[in-house]
Amino acid sequence: MNELTQLDAARQARRITEQAAAWYIEQQEPLSERQRTAFLDWLRASPLHVAEYFAIAQMHGDVKAAAALEKLSADELAEQARHSNPIVMFPRVGKAEPGTRNPQPARRSHIGLALGGVAGMAAAIAAAWLGLAPRHAVPVQTVAQASVQSYAGNAAGVRALTLSDGTLIQLDRDSRIEVRFDAHQRRIAVLRGHVLFDIGKDRVRPMLVDVGGHVLQDIGTIFDVRRDAAGDTLTVISGRVRVLKAQTPPAKGDELPPPGDSVADLTAGQQIDLDVSGTSRIHTVQAAQATAWLPSEISFQHETIGNVARRFNAYTSKPLAIEDAGIAGQRISGIFHANNPQAFVAYLATLPDVRVIDAGDRIRVVSVSHETNTKAGQL
Amino acid sequence: MREKHATWSALFAEKRATLSSYFLRRVAHRWDAQDLVQEVYLRLLRMEPADAANILSPEAYLFTVAANLVKEHAVLRQQQPLGSDELEHVVEHLVAPSNVEADVDSESRRRHLASLMERLPPKCRAVMVMHYRDELSYREIAERMSISTNMVKKYIVKGLAACRQRMADYE
Repeated sequence: MNELTQLDAARQARRITEQAAAWYIEQQEPLSERQRTAFLDWLRASPLHVAEYFAIAQMHGDVKAAAALEKLSADELAEQARHSNPIVMFPRVGKAEPGTRNPQPARRSHIGLALGGVAGMAAAIAAAWLGLAPRHAVPVQTVAQASVQSYAGNAAGVRALTLSDGTLIQLDRDSRIEVRFDAHQRRIAVLRGHVLFDIGKDRVRPMLVDVGGHVLQDIGTIFDVRRDAAGDTLTVISGRVRVLKAQTPPAKGDELPPPGDSVADLTAGQQIDLDVSGTSRIHTVQAAQATAWLPSEISFQHETIGNVARRFNAYTSKPLAIEDAGIAGQRISGIFHANNPQAFVAYLATLPDVRVIDAGDRIRVVSVSHETNTKAGQL
Repeated sequence: MREKHATWSALFAEKRATLSSYFLRRVAHRWDAQDLVQEVYLRLLRMEPADAANILSPEAYLFTVAANLVKEHAVLRQQQPLGSDELEHVVEHLVAPSNVEADVDSESRRRHLASLMERLPPKCRAVMVMHYRDELSYREIAERMSISTNMVKKYIVKGLAACRQRMADYE
């Protein structure tokens, strides 16, 4: 999987900087047609490239003035160079390299952004991207039964997981879940913390989520579960969830109790408190409020529109439905405000062959011609 | 073409009317700078392949898109249209009120950049100074340094990249 270390991120940032500088210098002579195409392709490969190109252009304006401050003559500099080690130690000059001696989590480099210009931006975008990239799921605890996998949240921030059935899970800090999938059913137990579920479709194996003495039955939906000292809370972001009372747990530890009687049905924007004595009355909440713990930006690199849309759907009770497989499969890169799915929809509407239909409870994204549109060079 | 490149660079860099500093200083909302890059990027993505093939200077196109977005943004924020479509006007308009601050800022940036250049490997430093201060051509530098013109170019690219990375740390 694409687990990037900070070192990788620093290396990648450096490579992009060198590419940007090389392209900037290339512009001093007219570009050949092939170079023009290559330069455009490079710019279109990632917003990081665009940001870095601006940053180089910005810095370049100061280079002449900075060089003018050099006191040594050309002859003296040439003389020094002659006696220097012929090996160019680029870029190990001056201060410590970023990433290697910086123990702070990558997300911290937002600070650099707040203080700097476009200069700090590329690094921050890289960091934000790094922070949100799906992490490789590492089982932190192996229970006797091999099919049980336990996942814990990261100390650094919200962790995103994709399970084998396509279910997307976001785990807050200090959260823990256990996943049991077999041929007949999919079950996830929320042990503690704050978890957002976007359940993958599987007609054969229903998904059941265990929260203390209750079992949640998903009917194609996105919902948020919080388990802490204050009790258990379920919030449905979109779709429908049925809450069932769990039957008396069997003595064996690694078996989850079978679901019993249904006690409540929740739809989008509804919340319920669950505890051993029963359930509270259902009340209405804002989806954004329930998922305020999620990162405030959605960033993705070469990700399919279908997956990006699912990321947005964690924040809105009016989900995006990408109905055309050709559109859903197109890959894009970028950063959006998570609480502004409209911006993403507006962007989708500008794509060729895409029509956006507001269907009331959801936003449908369909193909105008029903043809798969994967024009090379379009993305 | 070379003049064109220099003109764009002058407008966007030497006048310190950089896109980011404009957004950061005047709007004081870091997301705007990212939004701008994002919007420029999306426009690049949306280009038809046929249009892309017809662009004679992708760099000028890039800067024009950015300038137009800056202008649109300025119009939106100030509720008044700018007098001219000329990029120069937009740039002047943007920098005017905070010139003193920008100059002080710019001065300290230059000094810092100079100290970074001093710490470049000797050959790289010599090539950079000869090119940017003494305005020698690649060929002239190559002769003085007894290296190929291709190597001169490589040293300049590496010098710029090293400075840029260090400046990013500084900022």
